[in-house]
Amino acid sequence: MKILVAEDDQLMMKMLEFRLRKDGHEVIITHDGREAVSKLDEFQPDLVITDIMMPYLSGLEVVSAVKKKYPTGTPVVILSGMGQENVVLEAFQLGADDYMTKPFSPNELSVRVRRFDMSAIK
Amino acid sequence: MAGRLLTYLIKISWSVQNIAVAAVVALMTCLLVFMLLYMYVKSVREKKQHKWRMISDMLINKAIFYEDRDEIEDQILASVLEAAQKLIVNRYFRKFIAGELVSAKKNISGASADSLKQFYLQLGLDKYALKNLESRQWYVKAEAIQELTIMHTDEFIDQLHTHTNDKNEYVRMEAQAAMVQFKGFDGLDFLNSISYPLSNWQQIKLLQLLSLKPPSTINIDKWFKSDNNSVVIFALKLARNYHRFELHDAITECLDHENADVRYEAIRCLNEIYTDETADHLISRFLQQGLKHQVAIARAMQNVGSKKDELFLFDLLKHESDELKLHAARALANASKEGLLSLEKYSKESEEAISQILMHIKGENAA
Repeated sequence: MKILVAEDDQLMMKMLEFRLRKDGHEVIITHDGREAVSKLDEFQPDLVITDIMMPYLSGLEVVSAVKKKYPTGTPVVILSGMGQENVVLEAFQLGADDYMTKPFSPNELSVRVRRFDMSAIK
Repeated sequence: MAGRLLTYLIKISWSVQNIAVAAVVALMTCLLVFMLLYMYVKSVREKKQHKWRMISDMLINKAIFYEDRDEIEDQILASVLEAAQKLIVNRYFRKFIAGELVSAKKNISGASADSLKQFYLQLGLDKYALKNLESRQWYVKAEAIQELTIMHTDEFIDQLHTHTNDKNEYVRMEAQAAMVQFKGFDGLDFLNSISYPLSNWQQIKLLQLLSLKPPSTINIDKWFKSDNNSVVIFALKLARNYHRFELHDAITECLDHENADVRYEAIRCLNEIYTDETADHLISRFLQQGLKHQVAIARAMQNVGSKKDELFLFDLLKHESDELKLHAARALANASKEGLLSLEKYSKESEEAISQILMHIKGENAA
């Protein structure tokens, strides 16, 4: 599966990359929301994993942009340290497909990502 | 004569030129040597940092894929740990690797996080953090407490507990937060002994940390008797947040506390935790309070007031504070089914401000 990751924290970026590559996914890392949105056309991801607090464009804006571009496809998983109810609700209202809070379990992330892997389901 | 002078001048000019050229050459050589030296030091440093980063990446990687380990993986891990252990005497490496492990631990949970803790302990970083707890610099101490807390080294709770009453505000804030993170509500036992005040910010932080822990019915009322007023205020906030109705009488006693802030918090608390007698308790103390407390009582009457308190509330409508009048009018409107009608009747016979307040309340009710 082609996964686009938007994360501004270097260490988190590395951890996500380790885990997702090990699970056999093709991963592209972007360092902020603007870069993530700009890479959508080029990379055509099957899944987007995004943080919320990022420079230039927030994760919520990335959700909006992805859902506008692919209204029926490309799920978005939010992985954020913000667990407040209003933020989670807003993310789902914007179309986010899943929400994980940090600290997160890498194993749990693998399982959640697998749910979106259509080829694996088939 | 002129010819001699000219020759002499030419000689001097030559030697000046030579000196200048020599100086420039010397300067350029120095610059070159400095640049080569700088580049060498930079490259050594970069190589060193690259090596450190590789060690840290491999440890984090191993922690994330803890379940994939086999004999070969274990051998690799052992050699990485060995390399790290050799470097651990270098305080810069120690700071770097501890920072990386702590940052990773902050972001991940589950078995991977346990593996990170294991590496942290294997590298003996906990011993260095414990040593830093004895540092004279407050920021070193605070950082060590934070590190031990994030790595969840609960075996050092006693050492951390001694810092909950540290003379430095930041150190004790970290230590108190650590207690709550390790032991939840039971971690609040530092409230029995602290002599320094708990700042408002710290109270908010502790309440936020407690909100992530399962609720508990620990003994709060002993803190209502604390000599430390901030402890009493914090205990009142706990009682309010966790709806400890059984503490109503103890909270009421705080209405007579000598400290004004404690009395104010007690009024706010009774706004949530009340019985049929609460209104009488508040009314009987109304006149002894300052305006801030009187407004708080009027606000509380919206919840605790009833028809029997109408006389008192109508009296408040004559007060000079508009804020107090507004709360009293709201309390009257809530006090009984006929409350709003009585208020309407009263407004016709009184000043314009009451009619405006009445319209405002009607608007609120309609919304």
